[in-house]
Amino acid sequence: MTVLIGRRQILEAGLAAGALALLPRRANAADPLVVATFPGTWNEAHRDVLAPYFRKKTGAEVTQTIALATDQVAKLEASRGKPPFDVAIMDEGPLLDAVKAGVLEKYPVDKSPNYRDLVPAFQDPWGPKISLQVIGIGFNPRKIKERPKSWNDLFNPAYKGRVGLTALNSTLGMAFMVDLARTRGGGESDIEPAFKALKELLPGVGAISANLGAHAALFQQEQIDIAPYNFNFVQTLKEKGVDIEFATLDTGIPAWRTSLHLVKNAVQPDLAVQYIDAHIAPEVQEDMERTPYWVIPTNRKVPLKGEIVKQVAKSQDDLAKLRYFDWSKINERRSEWIERFNRDIKL
Amino acid sequence: MTAPAGSASEWRLLLPLGAFFVLFFAAPLIVLLLVSLSDGLALDRFTLAQYAKFLGDAFSLSILFDTLALGVKATLVCLIFGLPLAWVCVHAPARLRSLLLFLVILPILTSVVVRTFAWIVILGRQGILNKAAISLGLIDEPLRLLFSEVGVVMVLAQVQMPLMVLPLITTLQRIDPNLADASWALGAGHWRTFRRVILPLWLPGLVAGSILVFAACTTAFVTQTLIGGARLVYMPLYIYQQATGANNWPFAAAMSVLLMTSVLLVVYLLNMVGRTRSAVQHG
Repeated sequence: MTVLIGRRQILEAGLAAGALALLPRRANAADPLVVATFPGTWNEAHRDVLAPYFRKKTGAEVTQTIALATDQVAKLEASRGKPPFDVAIMDEGPLLDAVKAGVLEKYPVDKSPNYRDLVPAFQDPWGPKISLQVIGIGFNPRKIKERPKSWNDLFNPAYKGRVGLTALNSTLGMAFMVDLARTRGGGESDIEPAFKALKELLPGVGAISANLGAHAALFQQEQIDIAPYNFNFVQTLKEKGVDIEFATLDTGIPAWRTSLHLVKNAVQPDLAVQYIDAHIAPEVQEDMERTPYWVIPTNRKVPLKGEIVKQVAKSQDDLAKLRYFDWSKINERRSEWIERFNRDIKL
Repeated sequence: MTAPAGSASEWRLLLPLGAFFVLFFAAPLIVLLLVSLSDGLALDRFTLAQYAKFLGDAFSLSILFDTLALGVKATLVCLIFGLPLAWVCVHAPARLRSLLLFLVILPILTSVVVRTFAWIVILGRQGILNKAAISLGLIDEPLRLLFSEVGVVMVLAQVQMPLMVLPLITTLQRIDPNLADASWALGAGHWRTFRRVILPLWLPGLVAGSILVFAACTTAFVTQTLIGGARLVYMPLYIYQQATGANNWPFAAAMSVLLMTSVLLVVYLLNMVGRTRSAVQHG
């Protein structure tokens, strides 16, 4: 049996399809809301918890685009007024870049009923803080018998060759360097002590991952046994059966806040705000505060539980008192530090 | 069905692809060039400062050099392992040949990200390679394969092998086996036959394969970063860091142009080798 389709028809169909792809994105009632999300457990939490809740409330579908915060800023800047997604997800450093680049819209607080349940530290005129990332030391308890207490443990000669680091393009890498400087008499305005310590640390470093995704694989493959790491990533790995534990630092628990934002010239701004509001709804935050996501809730109505209470904080007010960073100062020198880090570590 | 060769309207068949290239390849390339020559994304002031910055900096130059050297190493490994493989493919019985061809193509059928993560499992301290070598008593301590250049070259060679083997198979298939017999009959020894008859006939395939593998290896962002880590910086990662991490688009664009130019230069040189050798042969 043969199906005859004239080549003219094929050509026309092809051209039409091609032309459609070139047209700017325009809203249609049935169109899904396009949102940005981070790779890893973040996109799973958003897909499996937030999207279904949002669909039930609004009837609208969600399409995810997975990108790091810096990549999102780059994409929004490059698309000049025709944003490829309506909701952005940012850590504190890239957020300042995004605001400076003028790619975000002020968050319409009055349209977001859950916003008032956030403690003031998690409210922001550019968009609510939906969670926070706590960092400390991830370690393999089979190999590292003594629970680490501070960054100084990374310098222990017994762990030579087993220490992992990550490049400064991730927030984890940058926050680690700044906090290392702070515990050695420096800080955001004086990074020197961190670079000095890095020189000392390098001979003992087994691997420096170029991106955070590879960091997990390094622990899994036992390429490294001890490294700066995010609280929630450690929990996720642990539940996957990897030999890994998280230790908080005695020198103060460093953290940064993660937030959702309405993008300027969004195609569906109302849906976008409802989506962001859904993320700070108590039901959603409670549902995300469990295995395998461990997204730390910022809504006062959601009680903290599990490892979060044991290791990090008892309440949202405690969370607001963790050691946060001055990202405006860090951003000023960020590219310089990335450059310097690259030169110092190159083999 | 076939139209008479050289019919005047035939060139029009190229129009759709041509238009596609102009729109999605040439136009972005021009934008890239413009950005590399500017001092911001506004594209209002033009300068050569980005190029001067790169070419005047030993660190940046060493990254470019390392990247090209990586391409050469991976291409050599592909040549050494690819040529025998192509030879076996061509001379195997027809049934076996299609199976071998399938095996050659197989790596292309899985995503490069997945394949590269699989290599992390193979090359790691607790990976298959190290465990096997330790249990065989070949080594006492696990070798450092992951995050080393040796590891990157190994993985690149595996990932890009089809690009070497496929052009070689095409070339080898076309060679008339009687030519070698004729050479022997005319008194040439094995070495002379190889050097004067076989090698020149292989050359087009060797050059084509090398060009493809070299260009692919120097620009293999995924493999370079996942297997090489942050301490082995090659141009693609360096460009990425400058563009998104440091937000320095003009510098990233200038680096992209420089990488492209140097890869094209190597490709051109390889092509010249192919030309002159065959010219000597047939001239």
